[in-house]
Parts: sequence; C-alpha cells; structure tokens
Amino acid sequence: MPESDVVKAAKERLEQSGLPSDWLDIPVHWGVKAKEQATPENGGLRFEYLNVDVYGEVPEHWDNNTEIPRGAVPDTRTEQMGYSIFDKAEVWSDLCAGLYEDAIAERWNSSADIPWDTLEPIGSDMERAVCQIATLMSEYGWTKAQTTGRWLQEISYGYIEVKLFLGTVVFDAARLYEVWRKRALSNGGGLGRGGRNWKFLPLTQSYTFSEFCVASIMHDSMLLALLRHGEQLAQTEAERSIYELCQKDIERHLAYFVDHMRYLMLKEPVRREEIHRYMNKAEWYLAKDGDDTLYSALGVIMGDGREGAEEAMADVAELRREQIETYLGYLTECHLGDREDRLNEELRKWAGIAPEEEVEKIPV
Amino acid sequence: MVTADKLNELQLEPEVPELDLSWLNLDTEWGVSAEPGRKGLTLQQINKSLYGDIPATSEDSSARPRGAAPPEGATPRMTPWVLGDATETFSDSAGLLYDEAVSRQWSSATDIPWDTMDELPEDIERAMVQLCTSLTEVEFIAGDVPGKWLPRIAADHFESGLFLMSQVMDEARHTDVFRKRALANGGGLLLQGGGGGLRQILEAEDFTQMSSMLHILGEGFVQSLFRLGELIAHNEAEKRIFRLAAQDESRHVAYGVTHLKYTLENDPEKAEEVHWTLDMFENTLVDPDQANPGLAGALVYLLGDGDVDEGWRLFWHVRRKQVLEYLHRLDVAGLSGRLESGRLHPALAGALDEN
Repeated sequence: MPESDVVKAAKERLEQSGLPSDWLDIPVHWGVKAKEQATPENGGLRFEYLNVDVYGEVPEHWDNNTEIPRGAVPDTRTEQMGYSIFDKAEVWSDLCAGLYEDAIAERWNSSADIPWDTLEPIGSDMERAVCQIATLMSEYGWTKAQTTGRWLQEISYGYIEVKLFLGTVVFDAARLYEVWRKRALSNGGGLGRGGRNWKFLPLTQSYTFSEFCVASIMHDSMLLALLRHGEQLAQTEAERSIYELCQKDIERHLAYFVDHMRYLMLKEPVRREEIHRYMNKAEWYLAKDGDDTLYSALGVIMGDGREGAEEAMADVAELRREQIETYLGYLTECHLGDREDRLNEELRKWAGIAPEEEVEKIPV
Repeated sequence: MVTADKLNELQLEPEVPELDLSWLNLDTEWGVSAEPGRKGLTLQQINKSLYGDIPATSEDSSARPRGAAPPEGATPRMTPWVLGDATETFSDSAGLLYDEAVSRQWSSATDIPWDTMDELPEDIERAMVQLCTSLTEVEFIAGDVPGKWLPRIAADHFESGLFLMSQVMDEARHTDVFRKRALANGGGLLLQGGGGGLRQILEAEDFTQMSSMLHILGEGFVQSLFRLGELIAHNEAEKRIFRLAAQDESRHVAYGVTHLKYTLENDPEKAEEVHWTLDMFENTLVDPDQANPGLAGALVYLLGDGDVDEGWRLFWHVRRKQVLEYLHRLDVAGLSGRLESGRLHPALAGALDEN
C-alpha cells in the first residue's frame, strides 16, 4: 500500500523529535472493522467477530515464544516467555471465543444475586449435611481455580481464545468456592470436614493440558450430575439459586473440555491410548478417595435427617450412577465412547455395570 | 450380536455407598450465621469468629477451606510447596477487593459504545492501534502471572487466592478489549512491544517481589496512564475503555500496596529485598534497549493529537504523575524514602522536575 501523505508527515515529525517511527512502516491489514458486526442483536462486539483476515488465522503450530499478539509484527529482540504449548491440537476448540463471551454475559455475583434472605432454620442434621456438601464444593472450586490457573503461563498467544476462556473458568471456580463457603457460614451452621483430596491429584499432577482436560471432564461431569439435582437437594430458594447458577457455569466448562477433546481425538487419534491412561489414573483416584462424606451427607438430605439416611442411600446410589453415566456420556461426545469397556472396576459398581470379565463372556 | 436382553442382564443395581455419619459430630465451630447487608452477603460478613482468624502460618497444602475439620486418614500433598507464611501473600484488603471485583465486572462486548467510533485520520488510527497492540501484550502477561502463583497460595489465606483469581479475569478482559479496539475501526495490530520488563515479572520466584513489580510499579504506571485516558481517547468508546480498565487496575494496585504494607509490618527485613527489586525493575523500565519502540512514539503522538511537541509536553506530565503516584503508593505501603535517599532511578526522578 503506498504510504499516504499524512503518514509520511507523521513519520517526519516523529523522527525530528527523536522518536521511533518504524511502527508507521508496518504494512497493516487496513480496513478490518470488527465494529460493523457489533449490534445489540449480535451481542455487541464479541470476540468471534475479531477473527477476520490474518487475525482469524489460528495456526496449527505457533512458533513464537513471546507474548506477541496474533497478527502483530514481531520485534526479534523480545525475550522468550517460557510458554510450552504451541500446538493447536493440544488446546483448541472452536467454541472458545463464544464461550468466553457467554461467561461474561452470564456473570453473577454471589453477594447480590443469591436470595440469602430466604435462608431459614432447617434443623441441625439438615444444616450439617448442607454445610458438609458446601465444604466439599468449596474444596473443588479452590482446586479447579488453582489447577486451571497454572496452565495460563503455558499457553502461547497463538491460542488467545483458549486463554481468555480459561480466565473465565478460574473466575467461575473462585465463585464456586466462595458461594458455598457463604452458604456454610450464613445459616447457623459452619464448615464440615474437609475431603481427602486424593481424587484431585490427577488435576494437580497433570503434565499435559489434555491430561488436565480429561481429569476435568471427570470431575466436572460428576459435579454437574449432582448440581442437576438441585431442585431435590435445595432446602431454600437461596440454595436453589446456587445450584442453578453453578450448573450453568459447569456446563460451559464442560462444553469446552469436551469439544477440545473431540478436536484432539480427530487431529491426533494416535493419542487415544495415552488419554485412556490418564483416565485410568483419574478414575482410580476417584474410586480410592470414595467421597464418603459427600454421599453420606446426600443421604441425610434425601432422607430428611439422619433417621431416614439409611433408606435414602438407595437414592444416593442412583444419583451416583447418574454421575458415572454423565461422565461416560460426555466421553462418548468426544469420541471416547469406548471408555465404558475400560471403566475402573469400582466405578462400574457405582454405575451398576457388570464387571468387565462378565461382559467378555457375551458371545459376539 | 449382543442382544438388548443380554445387556439388560448385565445391568446391575448400582452399589450403595457406605453411610458414615461421623461428620455429624464434628468439633468445629457451630452456630455461625450472617445477614446480607447493603451489598448483599459479602466475604467480610462471613469472616466471623474462628472462620475469620487468619493463621500467621499455614502448613496445609490441601484445598481444605479455612475452619473446616481435617479429613480422617491419609491425605496427599497437593502442591510441592505452598506459601504458608501470611507475610508472603496476604493483604488485609484482599477479600474486600475480591468482592468489589465481582460486583464491578464489565463486558467489553456490550459496555463499550463501539458505535461512537467514527473513522479517524490515518495517522491517529495507526497510533491508537499501535498503543493497543502494546497494551494487549502487557495485559496478556499480567494474566499469566497471577495464574502461575495460584497453586502456591495456601487455602488458609484464601482471600489472596480469590483476589488473584479475579485479577486473572480482569486481565483477560483487558487483553481482549485492547485487541478489540485494534481490530474494530479499520486499523489492525502493529509492532510488538519487545519486552519492557514483562519477563522480569514472570520469572520472579518470590511473591512479594513479583507483586512489587506487577501491582505497584507496572500496573501503577498503567493505572496513572489510563486515568489520563481522556488525553488519549478520540471518542466515547476509547474513553470508556480507559475508564473501566483504570477502575480494574486500581484494585490490582490496591492489592499490591496493602500486601506490601502487611509484609513490611510483619517482616520489616523484607524492605531491602523489595528495594533491590524496584532498583532492578525501574532500571528495566527506563532502559533504552528495553524500550518499547512503538509504545512511546504512539503515546506521544496521541497525546499531542499529531503535534509531537505538545505530545512530549503531555508525556512528561503523565510521567511525572506516574512517578508521584508510585512514590505515594510506596509511602502508604511503608517503603518510604526512595526519592530522598537517591535510590529512585535518575530517569524517573528527573521526571519530577518537569512541569
């Protein structure tokens, strides 16, 4: 593009003043006007609308280890920033930009958006059970935020949409932590007993992002199945709101994790067995951990007190079965439907699936 | 063929979890309640009795919420090391700042009046998108840094953790909004900034050192600049971007100042270490070799609306304000005397002589 008179004049003025003017020499991709799509009906200027021209070209491999924005011109003096993820297959989902904007549009505030004034005394056993669940929910929120956050420094700018979305996951997880803490400390109860945390190790120990993603699919889908029972479990309108709002957040997170794993399985099917190994590990820890206090607390709530808890455990077992089914359902969506055949033996019992050796006896 | 009947045969009753009610008789504090106030139910309102006691040290690397009873049986170490000493990460204001962050979230898609951006003269549009290219870079690193530190925050000091989580969100939005501005009005992304000290923030292995660089000096300078956004902006959309981003930066700066204050009150020997960090970081900020070639030129150009002499005059006005506010923040944090002792970098001290 020939340099315009106005740019020439600007360069001269800058140079006379001793200021660098190289940035005016850059052949810009002039004419990119994302604002034209920013109508109220379109949800304003959403990130998806920026992905035009070179700015929307998400490379299969990003070869720059600095913070350079995708589409900008590199300054080769810039130090490397220590990123480790440069392959699209490892993090990508086409849904990221949209989910990022959705997360912001659907943001909520635990201080003001929960009708805390609807809380009322619910009896000691029930309050303790709700507080026990709240304690474990807080623990997961904390772990989820910490373990998601640590991946930010690994992902290069080439996949900016992923990082932005993960920023919302961290923030949502913070809210998961604090809204349940608030519930525990606001209605005459207190915090219960912490969990054993063994089940979180696959999240904290993951070496690859996709390993972290499959562990997240397991935890998030188990949580989602539980949150979907909010109507049955909530004792007050306040709790009902908490279940409902947290459910929306977790559904968004799962949409990303699942779509990413689907993408990975299509792009790198050779990694299928590796991914199964990560699932073996995640499931083993989950089974070993057991989450006893969670299911017992659910028993007290479903049994309307400790006296009815024993009988209610059959309903709790059904809920736990739904959790495993939800997990397997999401895996099927990401082309890992063969997981049921390899599901951890303990989790098979939770789901009421016959042991693998029994299945193998079926004539085919 | 596997028949449906055969599959049904293999569908068993789900195993019933064992019922353990020992958690009904815990020795934790009971009977705590809180009423929502004018701003709803904030963290301050639930920080009561035992649950509000901040331990000076914590050796718990698990996710157990502060005040909860420990689990029965063996538990794993969740992270190789946790910053258990409150002086390393805590701030008395962290909870409040988190609450504020949650209530002041905004959307770059809908809260910026993008339709107020008319076509700008080519030189001004180029200068603005160059500035935004540099800013989206800076904000990108500013989001990576708190993410890096999150796993090391003790759950007993969760207020700082929550604050950093809100910062990750804020920085995502800043990265996004400056990229949006660059691509919204006919310009594009221009020249990468070239470091300018971002690497030093990222590589710090001490939280207070990192926070002094990121929150107090780095974001402090950015906040002072954003607060003068009226001087740079050419339309209501740009004004709103700077105003909203400055509001977020204020929280980040406040966290840095109150964290440093807490640290110095409880561990005064840390002061010299922070001085060293600031010596190094100030030097990087003014080092011509580290200078961001696009940022300075574009900023001066925008400040003067194309008149470079006027732009320089206003640049020094901005720089003077940045330095004065920086020194004030250090005073508030209890780290006074950098100017008086001659420790402030001469290039920054010199800015104070400008009018």
